[in-house]
Amino acid sequence: MNEEFESSPGEQKSSPWKRRFLILFALTVGLPAFIGLVMLQRFGGDEPVDYASPTEHFKYGSTGGEREMGFPYWIWRALPEVCPQYLPGKGYQSLGMVYEKNPDGSDRDVPVGTSKRRFQGIDRVFVNCAACHVSTVRTAPEKPATIVLGMPAATFNMKGFEEFFFKCAADPKFSKEYILPEIARQGGELDLLDRYLVYPIAIAIMRDRVLALAGRFDWVFKQHEWGPGRVDTFNSAKVIFNFPMSHLDPREFDAPADFPSIWRQRQRKEPKEMQLHWDGNNTTVEERNKSAAFGTGTTPPTIDIQRIKRVEAWIMDAQPPAFSDFFAIDRSIAAQGAPIYQKYCAACHGVSGSDFTGEYVGTVEPLARIGTDRRRLDSYTYTLAVNQATLYAGYPWRFTHFQKTHGYANMPLDGLWLRAPYLHNGSVPSLRDLLEPAAKRPKAFYRGYDVYDPVKVGFVSTVAQADGKKFFRLDTSVPGNGNGGHEGKAYGTELSAAEKTALVEFLKTF
Amino acid sequence: MSQCSCKTCFKYIGLALLVVAIIGAMIGYDRGFREHPQPDWVTSTPEMRFKYGSIGAEFDAGVPYWIFYVLPRVFPEKFMQDGKVAPGGYAALGVAWEQGQELPVGFTKKTIGFARVANNCAVCHTTSYRVSADSNPVYVVGGSGHTTNVQGFFRLLIDCAKDPRFNADILMAEINRVTDLDLIDSLLYRFFIIPITKQRLLEREAQFAWLYRKDFPEWGRGRDDAMNLTKYFMIRAPMDDTFGPTDMPSVWNLKKYVWDKGHRMNYAGDSHDAGSVIMDSALGLLGAAPKDKEDFLGQVKWLKDYLSELPPPKYPFPIDTAKAAAGKPLFDTHCASCHASDKTGTPLPLAAVGTDRGRLDSWNKGAAIKANKVVKDMGLERRGLVEEDLTGYVAAFLDGIWLKAPYLHNGSVPTLRDLLEPAAKRPKVFWRGYDVYDQVKVGFVTDGPEAHRIGTRLDTASKGGGNQGHEFGTGLSAADKEALVEFLKTL
Repeated sequence: MNEEFESSPGEQKSSPWKRRFLILFALTVGLPAFIGLVMLQRFGGDEPVDYASPTEHFKYGSTGGEREMGFPYWIWRALPEVCPQYLPGKGYQSLGMVYEKNPDGSDRDVPVGTSKRRFQGIDRVFVNCAACHVSTVRTAPEKPATIVLGMPAATFNMKGFEEFFFKCAADPKFSKEYILPEIARQGGELDLLDRYLVYPIAIAIMRDRVLALAGRFDWVFKQHEWGPGRVDTFNSAKVIFNFPMSHLDPREFDAPADFPSIWRQRQRKEPKEMQLHWDGNNTTVEERNKSAAFGTGTTPPTIDIQRIKRVEAWIMDAQPPAFSDFFAIDRSIAAQGAPIYQKYCAACHGVSGSDFTGEYVGTVEPLARIGTDRRRLDSYTYTLAVNQATLYAGYPWRFTHFQKTHGYANMPLDGLWLRAPYLHNGSVPSLRDLLEPAAKRPKAFYRGYDVYDPVKVGFVSTVAQADGKKFFRLDTSVPGNGNGGHEGKAYGTELSAAEKTALVEFLKTF
Repeated sequence: MSQCSCKTCFKYIGLALLVVAIIGAMIGYDRGFREHPQPDWVTSTPEMRFKYGSIGAEFDAGVPYWIFYVLPRVFPEKFMQDGKVAPGGYAALGVAWEQGQELPVGFTKKTIGFARVANNCAVCHTTSYRVSADSNPVYVVGGSGHTTNVQGFFRLLIDCAKDPRFNADILMAEINRVTDLDLIDSLLYRFFIIPITKQRLLEREAQFAWLYRKDFPEWGRGRDDAMNLTKYFMIRAPMDDTFGPTDMPSVWNLKKYVWDKGHRMNYAGDSHDAGSVIMDSALGLLGAAPKDKEDFLGQVKWLKDYLSELPPPKYPFPIDTAKAAAGKPLFDTHCASCHASDKTGTPLPLAAVGTDRGRLDSWNKGAAIKANKVVKDMGLERRGLVEEDLTGYVAAFLDGIWLKAPYLHNGSVPTLRDLLEPAAKRPKVFWRGYDVYDQVKVGFVTDGPEAHRIGTRLDTASKGGGNQGHEFGTGLSAADKEALVEFLKTL
């Protein structure tokens, strides 16, 4: 524009109006446009933090959930200090979330199972798949923890996690007066715009958003404790549809289920699609995955399909760590257990931990036969199944495979040793206990400790607390916690003690 | 500037405006009115077409798809049954809903500019039954929609539209959580589709006033006040005090009705033939004259052909053949003169049968004349409604009788076995619309905690719900009654 000006100096003099027009133009159009561009640059982006390695992506990559549900990074960091009274201990660690270490030995800033995305000008944090499918194992209390990807999040207390946010949002301290100083204390260097505009607004919006959801999750507060490693999956799914929860049949509630492991998905898809989920209510790995992704805050318009696909690709062939990398296996005793396994277990649970061939593997066993606690089964209703067929309407991947079943599915046993406690509701602490008839299984035990018991094969479940952490006492007489079923001659509970020992030893090879 | 260049300038502006207007009109037509055929799977088999195929009701009676989609999420407390909130979205209204299907049976999705949801015949004519409480439903097309709460659905739409939260801000917020509408659809929904839908639903409120009458019982599952629907909607008659609730009928094997033999259709022989009934029922679903008469007549003909040949379902459980054989002569003696004779399919005098007269009184000759005129004025030809005073109910054909429970025209007797008791000994109160089958009494389970939770309560002392009459065979011995019931399973 300037150049044009200079090339016609004659006009410049003769038209002061033109100059005034230009100034006016600059003020009314140019300046706002410039500010607009700056704001667009500042608030327009949608950039997740990406990781080249598939395992790093699994631990910290985005599912897209931050767009709808993400906490602004510094609010996420500040809340455990702003509302410590709603946590069992210090930080998200006290809820059993797993933190990797920085090179200096300190915990990383966010736990495994959370992702970051810069959306609408703020870095946001929310959970991803790894929150429920990563945990730790230790060979002895003094030994370091090994983080295992793809295993059930045996230490993560999801109900506590949900309740923490709902309680904190309802607390008067969930305000800029308390949160901003905490951010400053932690060294969060917010710029002026963030400090005086973005974060104050974000705090108010976040508070409203969490409180709006609190009503829909009101039922969670009324459930018996899930404890670590469990979630009431399909009552949570009813929230998607805003079912009026207080009007549901009471028998649908108190239906906690263990988080599953997610290794070797390809074999659950090929050569034959297995019935997935504890009750076998879906036969499609990808649909099951998208359904689970609702738990990471995604919605049909906000899910990040490309990044979910990276996780999907990784879990296709991801494998569990071998028991023998942690403890010794007595190969000769295991060899004695092999024929017992083939006789009693293989038809329903597959040939081995890597070969899932078996007539009934991945199919549903009617409840009358398996006899395990029925609440998880009853929590999933035909009504919910047909409603789920409306999810992702208008997208090529609309859900079409959810089905009401009437039993529990026979699971392949890959990485079995890390999937303790056992049965769908995690009501039996160890494999050895599972081989006892229900009357002789522990009536109560502790969940949430990551030290392993290589003899009984399961996590140590007799310790009420350790390392300053109190564990969850699972009482099998509480609704939803029943430890009955999977018993009788066909289930190996009538084997001799020596045979049971041999069978357990063989199961360590899975 | 010269005048000339100004003129050119205006020309260009004019031209630009014209182009914008044309493009705007094209977009408006495309997104507002352009009709797209339903996907191929819908018409892949006759049964699929019956369940999900459009009969053209989306034009006037269609609810915009995304509004339909979010109503259960925005207004969960308005899904009511027997005065209680029923959780589960549309499924709570007892519709037959196949797993994996985006919409329940009888709900059609068609894009006319934008996707819309309307109904077809299957919504009231598909039966759900379950072998046991621990099994999934089996759906039988052409059967009575004994689980569907039609009144609940009507009320739901009106109650939602009346709520101040039925507005663009709230509905759009929910829609944006489930789909990604493009700019044009977003604008259309916000400024046209949502306000117009609200207005159109509210326009129906006056006609639907009778649905809210406190002095009438609720229809509950599987019943509708059929002739009053026709009276108030088709001929816009003023509201009267009649109430004639009836069971949704089965519509299989329609070829059994032969006009020349004096067979008449509808419970009181109100209509001449299947074609007329199908046309009138379809017009009820359309809610207006058909947009495309040829297409509509084609739909009616297809339905008539399909339903004429649709076989009644065979009893799916074991039958004691010896016992059934013993029941055959009892049937011949006590039932055949009305249900397997020349009388079958023709009206019998009410005094001879003695069942509840509510349904008979809800219709009359004058209404028939008016309704026939309305249809004729649409340019549609049919034998139509019977322009005579009605005298009683039609002696029913018993094909597939095992699945037509509850029994009598008003569904006031839960099972065949109960029907063989004198009225005084039939259940006075029971729950309709629970779908677990009772193989002993032959009908659905109508009592117990699950039936109470899922079904709707029918009090036989309520208006139109009387369980008296048809006291035939009630004096047989218990063993004879069992044998007769066993035989009825074979029909």
